[in-house]
Amino acid sequence: MNKKQLTIYSLFALSISMISAQVQARTVIQNKGSDTLVNVAQAWAEEYRNIDKNVAVAVSGGGSGTGIAALINGTVDIANASRAMKQKEIDRAKKKGQNPIQHIVGYDALAVFLHHNSPINELSFEQLKEIFGRGGKATKWSDLDVTVPGCKQDKIVVVSRQNNSGTYAYFKKAALGKKGKFRQGTLDMHGSKDVVDLVEKTPCAIGYSGLAYANEHVKMACISKKTGDACVNPSVATASDRSYPIARPLFMYTNGEPAGETKKYLDWILSDKGQCILLKKGYAPVKDVKCD
Amino acid sequence: MSVEAMPVENLFTESQLNVKNKKIQSLYRVLFLLMTLLLILPVLIILGTLIVKGGSMISIDFLFTDPVNGMTEGGVFPALLGTVFLVSLALLISVPLGIAAAIYLSEYASENWFTRAINLAIINLAGVPSIVHALFGVGAFVMFFGFGTSILAASLTLAIMTLPVVIVSTRESLQAVPHAFREACWNMGATRWQTIRRVVLPNAVSGILTGVILEVSRTTGETAPIMFTGAVFFLPFLPQGVFDQTMALSLHLFVVTTQVPNVPEQLPYAVALVLIGMVLLMNSISIAFRMYLRSKKKW
Repeated sequence: MNKKQLTIYSLFALSISMISAQVQARTVIQNKGSDTLVNVAQAWAEEYRNIDKNVAVAVSGGGSGTGIAALINGTVDIANASRAMKQKEIDRAKKKGQNPIQHIVGYDALAVFLHHNSPINELSFEQLKEIFGRGGKATKWSDLDVTVPGCKQDKIVVVSRQNNSGTYAYFKKAALGKKGKFRQGTLDMHGSKDVVDLVEKTPCAIGYSGLAYANEHVKMACISKKTGDACVNPSVATASDRSYPIARPLFMYTNGEPAGETKKYLDWILSDKGQCILLKKGYAPVKDVKCD
Repeated sequence: MSVEAMPVENLFTESQLNVKNKKIQSLYRVLFLLMTLLLILPVLIILGTLIVKGGSMISIDFLFTDPVNGMTEGGVFPALLGTVFLVSLALLISVPLGIAAAIYLSEYASENWFTRAINLAIINLAGVPSIVHALFGVGAFVMFFGFGTSILAASLTLAIMTLPVVIVSTRESLQAVPHAFREACWNMGATRWQTIRRVVLPNAVSGILTGVILEVSRTTGETAPIMFTGAVFFLPFLPQGVFDQTMALSLHLFVVTTQVPNVPEQLPYAVALVLIGMVLLMNSISIAFRMYLRSKKKW
């Protein structure tokens, strides 16, 4: 019996100690949202530990919509979004007593990814519309006058994102126009990295994702606004000077003007040090920074 | 019909029919053996692949250091510790609750509509998909009870999800204790509770442990119930209390496989290996303990 009692008491003690350890002072900043930003948010949080030991940043992903919903419900301090909040969302937040304030923390180029065997090097907005848009005429690679080695069926596999993704929303608006819709039958992936991984393995595929998710096994198309115009390659530099046509700002939203530790954290993100981390992750900083 | 009517020399040799039946019999034997081997095959392939592809990364350092450099390097310590916290708290909640419920159902409840309804509810609870439990956890523990996204909310969700396993296996092992034991005890003047405490429970412990093992394995691997209720993508500190959030191995595996770019190829395999290794380790400890208990059983 004694042994059993001992185990019971020690388990009890363990749970008590887990609860009582809570008393220790430490500020936790809740940071949630965009899958595009999640990796740079993670890098910031990882580095900020060395800046201020008493502040911890808990990062989770889920998509811009997830972060914005959490801000509306008041469960996060900072929401990450790769698109601006819609008026409808701002109204809902106001109704719930929140006051979302927008901060631009960086810029991202949305690259159009192709299999590395693909003969396509450049694409215009018109071609993107034909490929991605509803009612678009390009359903086969031969419609674009190319044959893709390894793609026997010739059918274009269109890779898109789930609809609460900021990347989805921005690409739709930028490439397909304000009223544009994606064609039906796209493969909607649940993360920026998934898109690139799928395109890497599928010769017939074409997809879009953040430049930061690029790797050496996939090809990125050079994009022009009009067929015949000079095209621009996606890069941090072309995103910074806004010459790349599908570059977008990345946002962090706070509830009300940031104060206290949240303000310090945001200021640090916008400082040279924070922006250099963003740059290293493959995004364009909001200002000129010198990094080593 | 009598033996004399048959030719004597054929009496002990096989008839055509016997030979055919024997052939069919051995055919089925081989068939079922193959089926069994087929069952083991995936386990061996999974373990083999993980060890070959990720084994080289496993080291003491990998287990006990933080992930660094955008989670592409370093170890899995916060996730490992988080999973241990989540699972042990879930056990602390569900095992006493489940055993109490099972004792009531097996020892006290009389066979009527009420008991039948409870049984039905338990079976249904066991059939609820984990993602539904997750949403329930968000609604109930995170929002309604106001625990926020925390270890407590996640462990409660896990506990509720695994309660049926504990209840059913405990009830079964209680009922496996021969009724004569109880009657003998009652005849000595013991009360119902005394009987349960001194005779029924000690004899059922090994069966109860089986349920707990199953629960541990399931909670360790679950991702959906914790990803909305308490586990996060990244946390730069170790959880210090039940109201903190935590990283968890299963979610970490999901994250390094699908969310983080430029992860070295072995890393996801190594994380998976740690996850599986943890389950196997806990399982084998409790199996050993169960065998020890069973060896002391007197019937």
